[in-house]
Amino acid sequence: MASFEFLTPQTLPEAVDLLASWGEEAAVVAGATDLWVNIRSGKLAPKALVSLRALPSMRSLRHAGGDGNGGPGDGARTPGAATGTTLPGGAAGGGAASIAAGASPSGGALTIGAATPHADIEDSLWVAEHFPALQQACASLGSRQVRNVGTLGGNICNAAPCADSATALMLYDATVVLQGPDGERELPLGEFFIGPGQTRRGPAEVLTQIRVADPGPRTYSGYLKHTRRKGVELAMMSVGARVTLAEDGLTVRRARISLGVCAPTPTCSAGGELFLEGKPLTRENVARAAEIAAEESRVRDSWRGKAWYRREMIRVLVPRVIEQSGAFAAVETR
Amino acid sequence: MDQVVRLVVNGDAVTARVESDWNLLRLLREGLGLQGTKEGCGAGECGACTVILDGAAVNSCIFPAVAAEGAEVVTVEGLAAPDGTLHPLQQQFIDKGAVQCGFCTPGMLLSAKALLDRIPDPTEHQIKSALAGNLCRCTGYNQIIEAVQAAAADLAATPAAGARASSETEEVPA
Repeated sequence: MASFEFLTPQTLPEAVDLLASWGEEAAVVAGATDLWVNIRSGKLAPKALVSLRALPSMRSLRHAGGDGNGGPGDGARTPGAATGTTLPGGAAGGGAASIAAGASPSGGALTIGAATPHADIEDSLWVAEHFPALQQACASLGSRQVRNVGTLGGNICNAAPCADSATALMLYDATVVLQGPDGERELPLGEFFIGPGQTRRGPAEVLTQIRVADPGPRTYSGYLKHTRRKGVELAMMSVGARVTLAEDGLTVRRARISLGVCAPTPTCSAGGELFLEGKPLTRENVARAAEIAAEESRVRDSWRGKAWYRREMIRVLVPRVIEQSGAFAAVETR
Repeated sequence: MDQVVRLVVNGDAVTARVESDWNLLRLLREGLGLQGTKEGCGAGECGACTVILDGAAVNSCIFPAVAAEGAEVVTVEGLAAPDGTLHPLQQQFIDKGAVQCGFCTPGMLLSAKALLDRIPDPTEHQIKSALAGNLCRCTGYNQIIEAVQAAAADLAATPAAGARASSETEEVPA
């Protein structure tokens, strides 16, 4: 294994400074579950690892009520100064049980520190209630050992086409916050990805937060990961869906269909979404939206699955995940 | 470049000098001589190297040793009581025949302990999910699941039996 320096900055500006001075020779490390394997195999040989482990508030799940406070775009908060519940890194056992209550019935916005391990999200009852697709995606990744250490920000910055958390976050129009030498910027998650392993993160930038706005009342969502075995498996493909119903409890006000491993990056099916919006949520309309999503997808052959099979499974899984979300049941019992 | 790491292992405060490219597994086995933790795949797939770090099961083979600074680690050596009485999980692994070649056993025990610390009365599904990252190539999974269920029952009957390693942080000079 090639030698490198392991640097543990204590503040975010210090981390950015280190990255700026090391340039392309540095790698950002949070949980290291992927990075360590790639270094050990010789695939990567950074001269310095800049750890996010000691940075304050990087491991946190914070949510506000349904009024949007604390959501995207509320200005120049620095992660270190943010208020809210920071999860203990202590002996509670991946325990997300300490998340403060206070969600309004309509939901709430969510801000996740980039170095929050998947297990914290998996264990959060609040996330399971308000952003179920995200909770399901985080629970589906790797083993418990990997979920205890591997972070949401790491999953996003690795930019694998199969990134579970990213595919789920696309459903909620998540944004990512980056801190670099020139300050902070925020951009939509969908624009963050360029291709497999490639993002718009600059070499001296740190992904600090993932922000998700309140999706509003009557929102149903879910995530289905299609794999050959149930555990510890990368997705052959995955499908997420979210529908937000209008006040009549029938019309689709907002639809999102996200696809993993169906394009070079996690992606959404704009055509399928536009087809559903404004129409009543029926199985026929969902089947048509799934058809459009399948046609639009940029699936390809890989050893994990063939393109034709993936396309066929989009048609199967889009209706299935909407069924799983409870949206059909809500419409039928309104 | 070597660095100094201070952490608590099985209740003892230790200070170790490590290279920056050491993993936690190497710190435990070579730095501290705790060879109960095994290396299997070395890539975070098989779970043989599982230890508990700050209450959570982690693969020590892909955990940077330097990142364990300030952490509290429990290895298989920390499960039994000081008088040698086995932890209920260890005893049930023996009683249920959950040990065959034994190579996966330390990791299985630590994953199971982290589960029971978090969920004292897990369902079979929760046990399978918690142990999904621990491979047993002798494939004795049914006995392992039975042993975890039996240990959960033992711990519910005598809660103090499993409390040792996770709660103590007495300061002992390294």
